[in-house]
Amino acid sequence: MKSMKRSLVGISTLLVMSSALAACGGNSNSNSSSATSTTAPAANATEAPAKGTGEKVTINLWSFTDEIPNMTKKYMETHPDANVEFKTTVIATTDGAYQPALDQALSAGGKDAPDIFAAESAFVLKYTQGDASSYAANYSDLGLDDQMVKDAGIAQYSVDIGSLDGKLKALGYQATGGAFIYRRSIAKDVFGTDDPATIKNEIGPGWDKFYDAAAKLKAKGYGIVSGDGDIWHPIENSSDKGWIVDGKLHIDPKREEFLDLSKKLKDNGYHNDTTDWTEAWYADMSGSGAQPIFGFFGPAWLINYVMNGQVKDTNGDWAVSEPPTGFFWGGTWLLANKDVTKDDAKKQAVADFVKWVTLDTSETGLQYYWANGTMKEGEQGTKDSVASSVVMSKSNGEVPLLGGQNMFDVFVPANANASGKNLTQYDETINKLWRDQVREYTAGNKDRAKAIETFKQQVKDQLGIESE
Amino acid sequence: MRRKNVNYSKYGYIFTFPFVLAFLIFSLYPILYTAVIGFTDMKGIIPKPIHILDNPFQNFKDLLFDNPSFRKSLINTGLLWITNFVPQMLLALLLTAWFTNKRLNIKGQGLFKVLLYMPNIITASTIAVLFSTLFAYPMGPINSLFQMLGWTDAPVFFLQDKTTARGIVAFIQFWMWYGNTMIVLIAGVMGINPALFESASIDGANGFQTFFRITLPSLRTILLFTLITSMVGGLTMFDIPQLFLAGGPDDSTLTTSMFIYGQAFKGSYMYNRAAAASMIMFLISAVLAGILFYVMRDRDASRLKKIQKQKYRKAAIAAREGGVTHGK
Repeated sequence: MKSMKRSLVGISTLLVMSSALAACGGNSNSNSSSATSTTAPAANATEAPAKGTGEKVTINLWSFTDEIPNMTKKYMETHPDANVEFKTTVIATTDGAYQPALDQALSAGGKDAPDIFAAESAFVLKYTQGDASSYAANYSDLGLDDQMVKDAGIAQYSVDIGSLDGKLKALGYQATGGAFIYRRSIAKDVFGTDDPATIKNEIGPGWDKFYDAAAKLKAKGYGIVSGDGDIWHPIENSSDKGWIVDGKLHIDPKREEFLDLSKKLKDNGYHNDTTDWTEAWYADMSGSGAQPIFGFFGPAWLINYVMNGQVKDTNGDWAVSEPPTGFFWGGTWLLANKDVTKDDAKKQAVADFVKWVTLDTSETGLQYYWANGTMKEGEQGTKDSVASSVVMSKSNGEVPLLGGQNMFDVFVPANANASGKNLTQYDETINKLWRDQVREYTAGNKDRAKAIETFKQQVKDQLGIESE
Repeated sequence: MRRKNVNYSKYGYIFTFPFVLAFLIFSLYPILYTAVIGFTDMKGIIPKPIHILDNPFQNFKDLLFDNPSFRKSLINTGLLWITNFVPQMLLALLLTAWFTNKRLNIKGQGLFKVLLYMPNIITASTIAVLFSTLFAYPMGPINSLFQMLGWTDAPVFFLQDKTTARGIVAFIQFWMWYGNTMIVLIAGVMGINPALFESASIDGANGFQTFFRITLPSLRTILLFTLITSMVGGLTMFDIPQLFLAGGPDDSTLTTSMFIYGQAFKGSYMYNRAAAASMIMFLISAVLAGILFYVMRDRDASRLKKIQKQKYRKAAIAAREGGVTHGK
């Protein structure tokens, strides 16, 4: 009896001890288990007044911002006889919380599985072409055929990203083709005009002309871009091949050239050497950096959602022109679960909504509201570049930040020039490693060959991908 | 069998039961599961049937002999732990000596203890953001300060420099945890029999002698506790390096926990390699803990035990020899 008690005490103290060690320990422990507060999935149903007979169709919608949930509200307003209700689940992508939750829900299936889910450019390929593409329904099975895509004039890059072996699985509502956003006053000072058509030929096409322009700007004491991150997006997206070719790491010559282009910027003082998304980068938007900066590479969302809050005194002094090389940056795609095709009523309801968001070019389609900033009745919202060039051509894209320029004139060709054939599902991780090594090289800590060698080694070690 | 007093020990077991249950489900099972998948081919986002590899130790071999990043992360982890732990322990001991010194009798002790413990309460993400903002380049508070004082002409890219980056991470860890260590040590000193200190002061021991001859030896078990917990904490350092520079520059602040996280969740979903790396870390912690236990053992007690054993042996030998002589 006594010995048994003693062993019990022993076991329980052992457990207490080991858990103290296994769980968060004491000193200098950075308590890795401090659960990052994830936004709890907020489920709420938007109801439509019941019309007609039969059961209401419930659509489970998964998204990482409130953009699409707000669209469902607009959908309900404009389609009072739609016999559906949406159950939305919103999980932010911060801390990488969205993907694991979505993956779980998709693999679990059943009646709570996502019927429609959103994916952003950083990970959309996983769901359209990569490991999780088997969950996504083909648009053609929803009755949305390629002819509709053609008629709507959807940007090709968006279709490329959403297609697996020619079968379309995802489309976006927003188009994120990139432009060069520059300061009018500096353009007048250096090039004698602020006309986008002229500036387009001053800074491009091609990087050589871009650097000629940089030299001209430097002579007058201006930097051409804020940091090397600004030229990375156009370089990354204009390369012929992505990071992975036949399962091996491939460094496209155009991407390799980023080493030299970045070094050139730094050695000549063509930029303020900032890192994107830092305070110094924002400061350059309002012209309060070390030297005034001529411009930024970015899509419409950069103007609407980032620069808008940062430009301060330079508001109205900006204009957009076509970039030296076509690219896109970011975006949200809409996918449907392949299981929705099993139930006719549900299939129809999902197809109607997806069509209204991605392919409807009428003035009651979502994209028209989105492009003209009329999502809310009676107030002027943000105007944004949309996937359908048909919609943009009949919309008004005049933005005060750009001095009243109609940005759609530039974004329609910009969207058409972007390429969606050079992405992989590993881009986020590999880009980070690559840009770190480029920074090592430009800072003079490493020579060029060593930087590339380290990069290859890191990709192999951390992602298990061999080099060519 | 008359009961003299009530036996309360069973309540102890009842109270620990919920914890034991939670531990079995949420800690022990995952640990065992991790141990198993380290030997399998579990990879990829879509669950597939898993098999034990033909060479069960393949993952371990790859990591140890064919993965410079993992080796680098091990070195980083060790380096960051040592550089933050040594000053942290020294400062904590010094503060403990001051706060528990009866002669100094420092005023406002409670306030000081709270203030020194404060950094530990701030969340890691806040601190990470604070420091990356402070050392921002090309425009940031520290850079502006240096230029104002005329120490530098051009902005310095602090966080691109490996030594500076590591130094800041180690400093943050030190600054966050020395207060915690101090509180534990003070509690340990409180538990020492005051009669010892009294008799020491009667015998005319000065502060140094009291600290090194009485406080430190009596603190041994508490020190062992702080050493072990700190070591485990140091080996699993994740949040500050991850949030501060995401392992950069050039992987110089990549810790093993971050490496493991990356293996599993950065696009390749190599759960098996992540598990194998975790098990390697487990073994390293166990070995280091064993060494610490051995180094910190009670030498007097073990010497006593030895002497006792020798006595027994001698006695036994003597008894045997005596027996032999008797048997003549």
